[in-house]
Amino acid sequence: MGEVELSCLAYVKMYLHACLFPRCSVNGLLLSSSPAGGAVCVTDCVPLLHTHLPLAPITQLALTQVDVWCAQTQQRIVGYYQANACVSDSSPTPCALKIADKIAEQCNNAVLLMIDGGKMSPDYRVPPIVMYERKDTRWTLKDKHTIMLRQWEETRDIASQLLDSGDHSLLVDFDSHLDDITRDWTNQKLNAKIAELASPANASSIALPPGGGTVSIVTFTWSSSTARGRQQNINSLSINHILLENSPEWRNNG
Amino acid sequence: MLYESMSFLYYLNPEKYKLRKWREDNHRNSEQIVDVGEELINEHASKLGDDIWIIYEQVMIAALDCSRDDLAWTCLQELKKQFPGSQRVKRLAGMRLEALEKYEDASKQYDSILQDDPTNTAARKRKISILKAQGKSAEAIRELNEYLEQFVGDQEAWHELSELYINEHDYGKAAFCLEELMMTNPHNHLYCEQYAEVKYTQGGLENLELSRKYFAQALKLNNGNMRALFGLYMSASHIAASPKVNATVKKANVKYAAWATNQINRAYQLAGRGTKENKCSVKAVEEMLESMQITMS
Repeated sequence: MGEVELSCLAYVKMYLHACLFPRCSVNGLLLSSSPAGGAVCVTDCVPLLHTHLPLAPITQLALTQVDVWCAQTQQRIVGYYQANACVSDSSPTPCALKIADKIAEQCNNAVLLMIDGGKMSPDYRVPPIVMYERKDTRWTLKDKHTIMLRQWEETRDIASQLLDSGDHSLLVDFDSHLDDITRDWTNQKLNAKIAELASPANASSIALPPGGGTVSIVTFTWSSSTARGRQQNINSLSINHILLENSPEWRNNG
Repeated sequence: MLYESMSFLYYLNPEKYKLRKWREDNHRNSEQIVDVGEELINEHASKLGDDIWIIYEQVMIAALDCSRDDLAWTCLQELKKQFPGSQRVKRLAGMRLEALEKYEDASKQYDSILQDDPTNTAARKRKISILKAQGKSAEAIRELNEYLEQFVGDQEAWHELSELYINEHDYGKAAFCLEELMMTNPHNHLYCEQYAEVKYTQGGLENLELSRKYFAQALKLNNGNMRALFGLYMSASHIAASPKVNATVKKANVKYAAWATNQINRAYQLAGRGTKENKCSVKAVEEMLESMQITMS
């Protein structure tokens, strides 16, 4: 299939996410700010969870919020990444496949990226990642020659630098945001730090020109047959007109 | 002389206190423990008195967690010298073998402990951890179930089992484990909330209603639990959206969802005050809640 380019910003944040929670499985979304069609340019990523990856509610919530944010910032969700807690096994888990499937429904050449924990030693020479693309209905290994990481050595050095300086603790994933909602899961602060460290040559691959984003609400259900996302009819009852107090009735039933 | 020893004590206490606190709270902040503990051991060993042994144990485990085999080995030698033939130290030696991925040898070590003392729970749990580290989830689950038949009150084990089941997508059994935990810890909001998440994931109207109830219960126990608040919002919205419910149930759930929306908005407004940082995430939530409201009317 097509080429995929991974930006310095996306790689560094993914890498730091895996380093911040070395004993957990972590996952996140890959974003693109360039228009659909042609090569997939992953320009950013949003780290999502480090606990209970296979559970639905928080994943649904995170996907919805990221979707909304993407629409606001002219970006699209183009992929999914995961790093397994078990270092010896970097193959996609059922939950990874499920989420990637949902993303592929909205994005033709979506990618599934697994971080290979076993290859993340301090002086690794090649990016510790394995990429999958969708052929027919299955996720198959992508040809390594179609994956591009510009200025790889510089990117790797930036990641190491941030790790050594302890700045990786600046990274906020969606889980951490829910623990303390004053923390920003879009990671503006960390993004700025990474941009600072990157050379002018690299800066151009971080800030790609905004493309025409599409407003797509990613809805999905797990095994539920009755929860059909957000389309439904409630006999012309508008929420804004309902009394919003804590009625005693609610307290007893809740 | 007196002044000197007093100033030592003054210096030592904060570090010793930190280590003790982390021990009691069971924190896995291994890098910090290694930092603080290593200095304490190297510089002030003679001043620690009998506390040194438990500190050696704590630092050793943290060192294994950070791949510091040199430090772990040192601690182990000191403990072996002081407590020859101790089962507790044997277990630590086993953990070191695990850290070096010498699983066969580690297993043999634990087996020898169990030969002398078949009720040694620590050794049994380590054997299950080895299965987990090797990715043998089915076996780990089986062994853990057997363990729990004997040691039915072991909370940590029940929770570990629930995590294993969740990773295997066996939500029904995960729910069962969490039910055990909720029975013995009725005031723990985290168990309620995790149970609600599992029920939500299972899906179906009945499970959604259960999940809504338990999200609400978690909120009652801790009204700062954002996951529970969002969970309540989502489960109530899905129930209200279901074609299978009657008008009364719909109306009630719309109400619950609306209440949750209000609380979420309030929480984010409070959070958004004063910091420029999280404006992006606040905006995303606002718009998400708005868009969900519109499609529900």
